[in-house]
Amino acid sequence: MKFSEKLKGTAQDVNLNRNIGNFSFWLHRITGIGLSIYLVMHIFVLSSAIGGPESFDKRMGQVQNPFFAVLEVLLIAGVFLHMLNGLRITITDFFAWSRGHKTLFWIITVIFIAVMILTLVLQWPKFFMENYTGGGN
Amino acid sequence: MPQKAASQSLVPWLLQRITGLFLAFFLVTHLNVHHLFHDITVEGIISFALVQERLTASFWWQVYYFLFVPMVVYHALNGIWEIIADFRVSTGWSFLFKAMFWILGIVLIVVAAITLSNLF
Repeated sequence: MKFSEKLKGTAQDVNLNRNIGNFSFWLHRITGIGLSIYLVMHIFVLSSAIGGPESFDKRMGQVQNPFFAVLEVLLIAGVFLHMLNGLRITITDFFAWSRGHKTLFWIITVIFIAVMILTLVLQWPKFFMENYTGGGN
Repeated sequence: MPQKAASQSLVPWLLQRITGLFLAFFLVTHLNVHHLFHDITVEGIISFALVQERLTASFWWQVYYFLFVPMVVYHALNGIWEIIADFRVSTGWSFLFKAMFWILGIVLIVVAAITLSNLF
């Protein structure tokens, strides 16, 4: 089977199974791929520390502004979606609780919303450029 | 054309779960210290000096990152591999992907270790 046909089959599968289990399955994969890409970039950006304080501060200065602060919210959303759903899968599996997987999905949704409200409150000052000037370091 | 079963062995599956549970703890801590509770109005932008100050505050941060980095790299690359394996790739592609992920994984861990040794 060609790769394009496999992708087509996958799309059909998603379309035919519009339920919580399938939705969270794809959510887990998409956030997983996104977080893996971020991990590689994160290690790459921070590796500027190998060149000493000057090269690190220069590189870190490029990624600290309101634009990246908004992206950081997306990152944190991805982390918590993946983490909470991963815990849901683990609980469902290890405690033989597949009948409760939908209930667990709504529980993690509530936790996720609470975490994201807290995230927005904490990130708020980083959305404004004037807060980036000055600073103790 | 006969297809290879999209199966994975027990050990990587279990390791994915175990590292996942550890990562839940590691990531909440890491995000709180370096991302979420980093108050820009008080601490200013993140600099080499600030990160060094945070990481040398306790010896345990060395233990923490020594465990965290390999686990997160394994979890990420094994996770991507599981997705690829689900598409039932041929033996040749399978070997190529595995080799690529092993090399990438080792490079990432080594680069992260050198980076951290500069900051500790």
